[in-house]
Amino acid sequence: MESSSGDLMTVYAREVSYRVRPDLMNTIEKLGAVGISKCFDCGACTVSCPFSEELGMAPFPRRVIKYVKLGLEDKLVASLEPWLCYYCGDCSDTCPKNAEPAETMMAVRRYLVTKYDFTGLSRLMYLTRLGWLLAIIILGGIAFLIGWLLKGPIVLERTELETFAPVDIVDTAGIAVFIILASILLVNIYRMFRFSVGSLRGIPLTKAFIELIKIVPLHFFTQLRLAKCTFKNYWYIHLMIFYGYGLSFILFVPLLRLTLSNKPFLFVDPLSIAGILSTILLIIGASLMIKGRLEKKTHVWRYSHHTDWMFITLLFLVTITGILTGVFRTLNYPLPTYISFALHIVLVTPFLVLEVPFAKWSHLAYRPFSIYFYRLNQLRGGV
Amino acid sequence: MSRELGKILVVGGGIAGIQASIDLAEMGFKVYLVEKKPSIGGRMAQLDKTFPTLDCASCILTPKMAEVARKPNVEIIPFAEVIDVVKEREGFRVVVKKYPTYIDFSKCIGCGICVERCPAREKLGAPDEFNEGLSSRRAACIYFPQAVPRKAFIDPNICLYLTRKTCRVCEKFCPAGAIKWDDTEKTLNLYVDAIIVATGYKFVDPKHPALSLYGYGKYENVYTNLEFERLLDARGPTGGELLRRSDRKHPKKIVFIQCVGSRDIRINPYCSAYCCMASIKQAILAKEHEPEVDITILYMDIRAFGKGFQEFYERAREEFKIRFVRGRPVKISEDPSTKNLIISYENTLKGTIERIEADMVVLALGIVPNPPEFMKRLGLVEPDGRVKTIDPSDPITTPVEGIYVAGMLAGPKDIPDSVAQASAAAMKATSFVLKKTPMVIVR
Repeated sequence: MESSSGDLMTVYAREVSYRVRPDLMNTIEKLGAVGISKCFDCGACTVSCPFSEELGMAPFPRRVIKYVKLGLEDKLVASLEPWLCYYCGDCSDTCPKNAEPAETMMAVRRYLVTKYDFTGLSRLMYLTRLGWLLAIIILGGIAFLIGWLLKGPIVLERTELETFAPVDIVDTAGIAVFIILASILLVNIYRMFRFSVGSLRGIPLTKAFIELIKIVPLHFFTQLRLAKCTFKNYWYIHLMIFYGYGLSFILFVPLLRLTLSNKPFLFVDPLSIAGILSTILLIIGASLMIKGRLEKKTHVWRYSHHTDWMFITLLFLVTITGILTGVFRTLNYPLPTYISFALHIVLVTPFLVLEVPFAKWSHLAYRPFSIYFYRLNQLRGGV
Repeated sequence: MSRELGKILVVGGGIAGIQASIDLAEMGFKVYLVEKKPSIGGRMAQLDKTFPTLDCASCILTPKMAEVARKPNVEIIPFAEVIDVVKEREGFRVVVKKYPTYIDFSKCIGCGICVERCPAREKLGAPDEFNEGLSSRRAACIYFPQAVPRKAFIDPNICLYLTRKTCRVCEKFCPAGAIKWDDTEKTLNLYVDAIIVATGYKFVDPKHPALSLYGYGKYENVYTNLEFERLLDARGPTGGELLRRSDRKHPKKIVFIQCVGSRDIRINPYCSAYCCMASIKQAILAKEHEPEVDITILYMDIRAFGKGFQEFYERAREEFKIRFVRGRPVKISEDPSTKNLIISYENTLKGTIERIEADMVVLALGIVPNPPEFMKRLGLVEPDGRVKTIDPSDPITTPVEGIYVAGMLAGPKDIPDSVAQASAAAMKATSFVLKKTPMVIVR
């Protein structure tokens, strides 16, 4: 593996000098690794994983579980495998000790999100419920205050949403938030790259670029790995939310000047149809997710961390207030329109600000990039 | 023996039941030894060798079987089951159901001529339980050559006369005139002072849903460990030759899988205790049969806790070059053309995924205690199937005064421990009986 020029002793020293963090397992347990202490290292999860062979016979997921148990934080942070795991639950099914290896992988993904984030906010929110609530209230409050200060006149004779919320202000605020969040997320992705790949040294650059074009968009838009999961419906629901979310993002960020206006909401124009479609996708997707998490019938939904609930509840509420705004606007009820819009803004702000770079939402970026970074490591190895 | 201190029932004629009966008889008790099978001997009779000394199992067991049969105050009741136990006055009334054998045991001399002449063989026969179904037996049958009592019986399910009213060949040839076509099921009532239950164990079902990926019953060359033991035994279905089920060829590569149905939360959370040493023994025996054979044992932990066990394990590794790999496979697949088996496992001490193609796979099955129905009715069985005893430090005494357990029924253990526990149970039963009927010392 190591280059032949390396002095054997230093290679050896490099291999063995890892910092051990005895509290790592506690942290991972708090993040949802419900059964990790029951594991007796039998390796059944490894041979049941449909993915371990694809990984060049690496003992996955037991290797990652072992990192956690031994407290090898650096090794764990450098691991991309948890992101390549598509949560099919075969390992948990075959585990003779109910150690739930699939849940450990989920918890490790949560842990990695906290590690990629340079601000430390993510860690705070993942490890404490209070941190989450506090952050939502503060951000919602800020959004409410700014909105209150910058809002336009309230017209009660007929519904004039644009007069109430001037499009210039909403659009500027939206783009500003978008740029800030995207930058933070990019920094986090770069940190993921540093931890897992290190540098581009030894990787042919043109090839690296071609792989970037080939891998990231494909997996971003299709979530193909999820399709290999035994529980196919999960992939469909996931796609519904993804495309519902994507569509409303296009409608209400780049196209906001067209969608936020005083014109009554009409069912015939393409923008309204797109809006209705996006909300239908989101509301059905989010409802099915909530139902699944309450019923706990499959692996993916059996154990829910508080961050999972925060994500799906906020998404659901944001969608509902969005739908209400549209409905009241069409029915020409001025005051209810303004109130539901204000609520929508108060909810959507913490939802985006917290979820995009710091929490569950960020897997939208980490999943496709992990596949790419994994490929980069392979390229360096000459595969 | 003239003095009779009391009557004691022993349920189950395995090594534990036999030992308890011998001890009780020697102390002067009347013993009823009830056995479900046609012969006493139990599981140990099916074994070829014992660990860790590789002594022949029959050489230890057969003298004991003969000894218990010779005791004048032991009444062996084979082919019978205890169906009910009622507490009555100072002791118990025991209802025993005795199955028809269609042969008068008082006349049968065990010559085996009926077996020889019986035409209900091959396709008309039935799987031989003693050989774990690896061979077939006829309608007239002696359970195994060393059976005690060595009497023939007729299986009414396949007997041509009892099913189709033809044949009667055995009757014609029997020199003792022992065939008794009008034999019926009988119910006996026994009155005893104490009961020792030693009904042993049953194996975890290798077709359990959690084990289905091992393909037992689907792939011909996947064996249970008792089936494999029968193959090793010179009295066994192949005359002691190791032959694969699929092509009757000698295996070149054998893989043992340990903890099948043991230490598995989905089946049995506990360790079955005997399987590590049993597999090591079988691996050594297989090496002695076929020195060229390559053997891998996939284990979780080798639990070699008894006298000479650790040395036995080390001998297997060093002298017999048996490969021990720590890893738990979850699936076996079969090459349909060669019927070889492909097993993937993680070598957990190296952290690598490995794959073996084997000609034969042996599943070291876990065990579950096999309490009789009446124990369940008396509330002596825990929900998980294990028997209740009064105290963790007393694994013999049950909460019902006068009922004691011994052997595998009381928990997984090996032969020496079963024998020791049987003697202990005999002692407990003795003191229980003597306490209530003070002995009169005649000078």
